Amino acid sequence: MTCAVETKGLIKIFRNRWTGKEVRAVDGISLNVEHGSTFGLLGPNGAGKTTFVKLLLSCAHPTAGRAMIFGRDSRESEARRPAGYLPENHRFPTYMTGHGMLDFYGALSGMDATALRKRIPELLATVGLAEWGAVRLGKYSKGMLQRVGLAQALMHAPSLLVLDEPTDGVDPIGRRQIRDILQSLEQQGVTIFLNSHLLAEVELFCRDVAIIHRGKVALEGRVKDLTAGSGYRVEAESVPERLQKELRTKAKSVAERNGHIEFLFGSRDEANQALDLLRAGGCAIETMARTSSTLEDVFVKTVNEQ
Amino acid sequence: MNSKTGIVTWALVRDTFREAFARKIFWGFFGCSTALILFFIFIMKIDVVEGAVATVSLFGNTTRGHDVQRLVRQAHAGIAAFLYTAGMFLAVFASAGLIPTVFEPGRIELLLSKPVERYHILLGRYLGNVLVIAANVFYLVLGVWIIFGVKTAVWTPGFLWSSVIIVFVYSVLLTVVLLIAVVWESAVVATMVAFAIMFMSPILAQQSLLERLLTSEWSRNTIRVLYYALPKIFDLGRLARALVLGDPVIDWMPVWSSALFGLVTLSGSLYAFGRRDY
Repeated sequence: MTCAVETKGLIKIFRNRWTGKEVRAVDGISLNVEHGSTFGLLGPNGAGKTTFVKLLLSCAHPTAGRAMIFGRDSRESEARRPAGYLPENHRFPTYMTGHGMLDFYGALSGMDATALRKRIPELLATVGLAEWGAVRLGKYSKGMLQRVGLAQALMHAPSLLVLDEPTDGVDPIGRRQIRDILQSLEQQGVTIFLNSHLLAEVELFCRDVAIIHRGKVALEGRVKDLTAGSGYRVEAESVPERLQKELRTKAKSVAERNGHIEFLFGSRDEANQALDLLRAGGCAIETMARTSSTLEDVFVKTVNEQ
Repeated sequence: MNSKTGIVTWALVRDTFREAFARKIFWGFFGCSTALILFFIFIMKIDVVEGAVATVSLFGNTTRGHDVQRLVRQAHAGIAAFLYTAGMFLAVFASAGLIPTVFEPGRIELLLSKPVERYHILLGRYLGNVLVIAANVFYLVLGVWIIFGVKTAVWTPGFLWSSVIIVFVYSVLLTVVLLIAVVWESAVVATMVAFAIMFMSPILAQQSLLERLLTSEWSRNTIRVLYYALPKIFDLGRLARALVLGDPVIDWMPVWSSALFGLVTLSGSLYAFGRRDY
């Protein structure tokens, strides 16, 4: 099956014209994003995320390697037809109205007047700006600009949506609204490529992620696999001293918190044995759960290890 | 041209007009043109006597005994000269800003991500700019031509041709603005270079005189190269005047050599734009 996004050994080196100094912004990234998936691209500031997106959409030329959209080299203009894009720090012309802006970018995507007339009111309503279509973008708040920007990216009903920090500056209600729109697009089979530093948002929404650091892919995989823990947590109350000592020898770690004792065991069997002992000792069991990491834990660990 | 190409070109042209409207560039020119047209409608009175001799009244001062044909041609030439000099400066100055705005970060990425070739984006913007100025020049020239025609029954087409020359020269100068905007993204530098070419043109037009005055062969060659390489704004002005006055045009070299300069500069802009990273 053709991937929505495929890059092979993508390299981008920026050279200072005067000093000759080189910066490898993207250093041999090979990534595959399956059609219909929700993909999050993560990385610390300056990791090369935005450069990667620019290479993908042909805003910049790769020094080496290729970027493909649905199997076609993204440098071909037709390859970009199935893609919708919302850039980071966009500057939509403030002289345009919301309606005019959608009309302009829709036309650039090859939509004719009839299609534009039908699509623009629909999308303005979808992003909650139905009443604002005739107002100049200069009067829009940042959150409204993000939402109209999202509408712009959706104008030609793309099969691939590339969003660079889409909820930047959007209030919590607007964020929820954007997330709802993206979820409905995901259900329609649209591939969503999210470039964001909001890890919680990516964790909540994306199925797959890649963490890039210093221009290279440091880690990639399914979010649920990456955040799955490797142990079991047992939390109990009123644990006698003798039992505490016994369980300490078996547990990987022990922590005391608000009168509760939390044991971390390496396997399910060990955790079950501990539960039996605790019950036999008349202790109150508070929690027994598989441990998991947040995407933030994974991110910090990955970046620090590099 | 297929329908998608047409849709994109029309969108880019419309966007330039929209920006020109929003920045009051279009309306500024339109207002000046309208004021000039109204001036000729209401202030200047021409009474033609026996079909050939006219009485001209301007702000109440009357002069008699003009040859109508000559009078109209002189008036046309004066307006064309005004448009060619002051109008051209204003046009370059006002519209130079319309090109670099496209390259602003956050705006250009979105344009480039669309299924449109880079050359198409640049040419669309260029065409939009030329049409903004052309619309105003044609409006003014056609308006004045009709007023003079109605008042004097003299319908010389030369004046209309001068508007074509004016738009042509503007479109050549705009290629310089375009190249500088692509390379340096600076409206100020673009305007300065375009103005420098305009200022140098009358000097370079005295090429044969300069060659006689200069002693060094190197200097003579430099003048010669500059004269032939740069657009011949001054010579084209003389050509426009000859067209207006109905004089024969002896040499069309300024037209084709300036067109060649424009083509080379435009190709350079397209090449630079195609290679740039944003």
